[in-house]
Amino acid sequence: MDLKINADDLNSCVQCGLCLPHCPTYRVTGDEALSPRGRIRLMREVQDHGAPITNEVRDAFDTCVQCRGCEPACPSGVPYGRLIESTRESLVAVGELSARPQRLAFGVLARPRLLRFGSTLLAVVVRLRLAPKRLGLPRDLPFRRTKHSASGDDVFLFTGCVMDAWQRDVHHAGQRVIEAAGFGVTPTADIAPCCGALHTHAGLGADARGRAEATIAALSIGGDRRPIVVDSAGCGAAMKEYGHLLGTAEAAAFAERVVDIQEWLADHLDRLPEVKPLDICVAIQDPCHLRHVQRAHAATRVALAPFVHRLIELDDDGLCCGAGGAYSVFHPEISGDVRARKVDAIDQVSPDLVASANPGCSMHLAAAGVETAHPMELIDRALRGEG
Amino acid sequence: MSTLASTDVALAGFAAEVGTEGPVAVRGGGTRWNLGGVLTENARLVEVPSGIVDYQPAEMIVTVRAGTNTADLHASLAEHGQTCALPERGGTVGGAVAVGENRLDRLGRGSVRDAVLQVRYVSSEGDVVTGGGPVVKNVTGFNIPKLLTGSLGTLGLIAEVVLRTNPLPPVQRWLRAESVDPRDLRDVVLRPGAVLWDGTSSWILVEGHEADVDSEIERVATRADITSTDGPPELPPHRWRLSPSDASQADRFIDGSFVASIGVGTVWATTAQPVREPDPVAAQIVSRMKQLFDPSGRLNPGRSSWT
Amino acid sequence: MTTWWRRPSRPADPLIADLHDALAPDRVRNDGAERSLTSHDASVFDGGVSGPVCFPTTTGEVQAIMRIAERHDRAVVPRGAGTGLAGGAIPLGAPIVVCTGKMNNVVQIDLENRIAWVEPGVINLDLSKQLRPKGFHFAPDPSSQQVCTLGGNVANNSGGPHCLAYGVTDAHVLAIEVVLPDGQVAMLGGLEDEPDGLDLRGAFVGSEGTLGIATKIAVRLTPNPPAVRTMLLSFSSVRDAAQTVSDVIASGVVPAALEVMDQPMVTAIERYVGAGYPTDAAAVLLAEVEGLDAGVDIDVAHIDQIGRANNATEIRLAGSDEERAALWKGRKTAFGAVAQIAPDYYLHDTVVPRAKLADVLEQIYEIVDRHEVLVLNVFHAGDGNLHPLLVFDAREEGTLERVHAAGAEILRASLEAGGVLSGEHGIGVEKQQYMEELFGQADLDHQNRLRQAFDPACRANPGKVLPAGHSCADIQALRDVPTGVWG
Repeated sequence: MDLKINADDLNSCVQCGLCLPHCPTYRVTGDEALSPRGRIRLMREVQDHGAPITNEVRDAFDTCVQCRGCEPACPSGVPYGRLIESTRESLVAVGELSARPQRLAFGVLARPRLLRFGSTLLAVVVRLRLAPKRLGLPRDLPFRRTKHSASGDDVFLFTGCVMDAWQRDVHHAGQRVIEAAGFGVTPTADIAPCCGALHTHAGLGADARGRAEATIAALSIGGDRRPIVVDSAGCGAAMKEYGHLLGTAEAAAFAERVVDIQEWLADHLDRLPEVKPLDICVAIQDPCHLRHVQRAHAATRVALAPFVHRLIELDDDGLCCGAGGAYSVFHPEISGDVRARKVDAIDQVSPDLVASANPGCSMHLAAAGVETAHPMELIDRALRGEG
Repeated sequence: MSTLASTDVALAGFAAEVGTEGPVAVRGGGTRWNLGGVLTENARLVEVPSGIVDYQPAEMIVTVRAGTNTADLHASLAEHGQTCALPERGGTVGGAVAVGENRLDRLGRGSVRDAVLQVRYVSSEGDVVTGGGPVVKNVTGFNIPKLLTGSLGTLGLIAEVVLRTNPLPPVQRWLRAESVDPRDLRDVVLRPGAVLWDGTSSWILVEGHEADVDSEIERVATRADITSTDGPPELPPHRWRLSPSDASQADRFIDGSFVASIGVGTVWATTAQPVREPDPVAAQIVSRMKQLFDPSGRLNPGRSSWT
Repeated sequence: MTTWWRRPSRPADPLIADLHDALAPDRVRNDGAERSLTSHDASVFDGGVSGPVCFPTTTGEVQAIMRIAERHDRAVVPRGAGTGLAGGAIPLGAPIVVCTGKMNNVVQIDLENRIAWVEPGVINLDLSKQLRPKGFHFAPDPSSQQVCTLGGNVANNSGGPHCLAYGVTDAHVLAIEVVLPDGQVAMLGGLEDEPDGLDLRGAFVGSEGTLGIATKIAVRLTPNPPAVRTMLLSFSSVRDAAQTVSDVIASGVVPAALEVMDQPMVTAIERYVGAGYPTDAAAVLLAEVEGLDAGVDIDVAHIDQIGRANNATEIRLAGSDEERAALWKGRKTAFGAVAQIAPDYYLHDTVVPRAKLADVLEQIYEIVDRHEVLVLNVFHAGDGNLHPLLVFDAREEGTLERVHAAGAEILRASLEAGGVLSGEHGIGVEKQQYMEELFGQADLDHQNRLRQAFDPACRANPGKVLPAGHSCADIQALRDVPTGVWG
């Protein structure tokens, strides 16, 4: 069947295999079918040679975390993210890959009030220990959230969906940090409730494009050109790729406005006051979509370094933690194996805390007992004199 | 025609002498003559050609015929500041390769097996066979040189080898050390030429650039009482093959005096090592190998590659 | 992986059924598309047809696979990470493919004996990373070391830039537990320096999977040197660079690495990562020396002097670890740089005497010009190990033919210079037909005897290394397997 993959993109892989160790699912299985080179080969077999979509083939595509750790490792520059997104969308479209549970679950994402209500309910369920453990839900889901309020109109702070319901405190911390640099912040809150990143990963292309269009429209009213600061690596990566997703000049122009909050801060560090750093050693876990897709992970170090005692690098080449948006929910076992590697790497350097700039990663790691914080929370604490 | 395929007159003559029939053997210096068993009486002894065929110091390789005395080879190499992994204990190059014993300073000079880059030998069928190649790095085909090294002439009669040579270290100093665990000596020196231990005293060969040797000796002096010495101690006659960890506790199971090569595992002792059972499956491969290489059993009859 | 694996019913094919019983159904793959994944390695050769693909986790399971193969008269091909460049892992004759990826434990690190026992699926760089805090590393460092497995290193007797001083894989493997094609387990070699009997371990290393499957390997640990110095020397001619390499070796210095890149390669690297190499130089030489502080400085001065005597136009010495890493960065990203020029490449691998490096390189330039192929050179000069990279776009009509024709001439030029066919990639299916140009009939016959002593039934990776007529299996028959890919 036609997976609607661009033929040149597909042919750009020369099968050298240098991607294999950078793929979390290959790392934990040693199985070529669960590697980028293997998956690309399967795409060719399906698209060019008419191979049927068997269970094995479907599983190979379905188990990709879409961390895109293979992309920077690839000497030939294969755009793997595009390949797997096309593949999944094509398979979902013909019903070869089921996205029904995702579609059902993600339906709520763009309906913030329903999402918050559901999250509160979920918080109760988790507190009563009624949720299945394998879902790895955080035990400290909030019952209530402090309201967003705009402090000016220099930048947007994109607040998103699940993160806004579950980790709004991070947004507040991020907003205070930006304000401390002397900028007025407009939280996007319910005007642009969901970027569509999770839909893209699930192969729900039409839904993703719908979310993207809505987000662009909501944040471009009256020719608004303000920077859109994003504190979730997954959302930031998705929004920076709107140009490719929608293929319009407007989307590409919008994508240019998107900036990761660490990137933004690294450029405005001189405007923050000098404060006493927090007396903790912090290991940095780079969210894949910050490191491999946005390639902005250096900024996390620049931004965070002045505010903590010491930064520690993990010796795992930035391998994925296994969270992968909703991946950990739909593939708990393989996701747990991937996480175990990350936890090992963390244990080896025994930090006081792990900083992760993505809500999915931090929740996934927290579920394995790792103490995590968003870099903005740490910077905020230092700025508030806790150092 | 490549150099490898060209036939050398001397080797052709040797092959003709070996012929295609009848039990046959080559005697080198005879320093290890009864290793692997006693040659049957009916075996015909054949003279193997000798002489250095080609020595290119800049390439660090030497092509030498099997009958050459190792002493002559080492003298030629030394003229160019070089040496090689073959022992200097007398005997011939062919004998040294067929036996495959490493030097006392094996840590510094490497092993005979790693030094044999190419081997030419006369087969049971009387053909001159070439394995390996005359370059320092080679994975072209199956590793015949490794197979022939240490085969005690049971698979083919070695006629000529190409050996890797090594530069002689600018400075070599033997030290005798007391009241120290010899394993510490090994750890404290980056690349010792040899570390020996007789159960009480230790010897270490420190080598390299003079400045490095001086600093390493200073470091050794912080761990042990050291004195300069001319060379290694006298070695008892019997050779034990042990793992490095076993060799460093040789006093626990070797009666009589011994000298153990620390970090290598070889031990020289006054008593012989008890016979060890070879891995039974490996033994099957060895006997098939012999059968395939020498179906009539005419090469070095009476001997086995198991010692 | 029970969440995504749906339990299949017992297969009708008796071979698959036996394999399911011996391993577990989810570790035996017979799906057509999945089998296509093992039909290739990282070489330009493709088109093998794989039988069932197995993922054993223990020596016992490998034994079971071998016995099942024997019962069903099927060949067996071991496979590590599939990064070979000579087609050694390409399945011929629909064999059972044994993937070692799930046998990836470092079983024991034994510092007293300075060895580690590892399973074959352990990744080369992973082992060195584990050893680093203990002050040791595994010396062979092939360019694919972040991916390739130690089992694959043993099969190919792999090298790498730092094998100049330390030697290739066979100098670093002491013992190997091997499952023979008849299903028996043999221990080859041992921790003793000179194990008794024939050196079967030495025969096994580099045998490209044709003698059996390594299931446990004792590798030597090399202490990390306290001092390392890296230099970059630029030259206005390739000949000057090659002469410097020869002179350095001749002078008695054995550097840890001596790597040369020619101008097209340097230009490509600079365009790709900007490593700071001089693009106006005809060749740059990366030299590294290791050891103790005083000695490495003496070696550096020595190389500097030899470089100057050979008209080096520029000599840089890395002053810090960061600068060292920067000098190596270009060398290590060479393949990425090449991929920016054209989509396909064919990486050759021959060895010539060091003194002939410049002559052979000049011949290579002449050959590729004649065949209108682009070549970039990056090579282990200290070993005389050439790596001409022919880059091309396979979609252009007739290109592949020109590339193969040029490659054949490069091989012959290397042989004429007194060299050999391969320094570290092996023969595989790539160079079988050239074996007769290097070896005589009796030589090849004896190589086949070595193989048969391990594998009398020709079940292990048949159709590799030795050319048709010398191999125990009829290679042509292996290539014409009628099995449909989607069967």
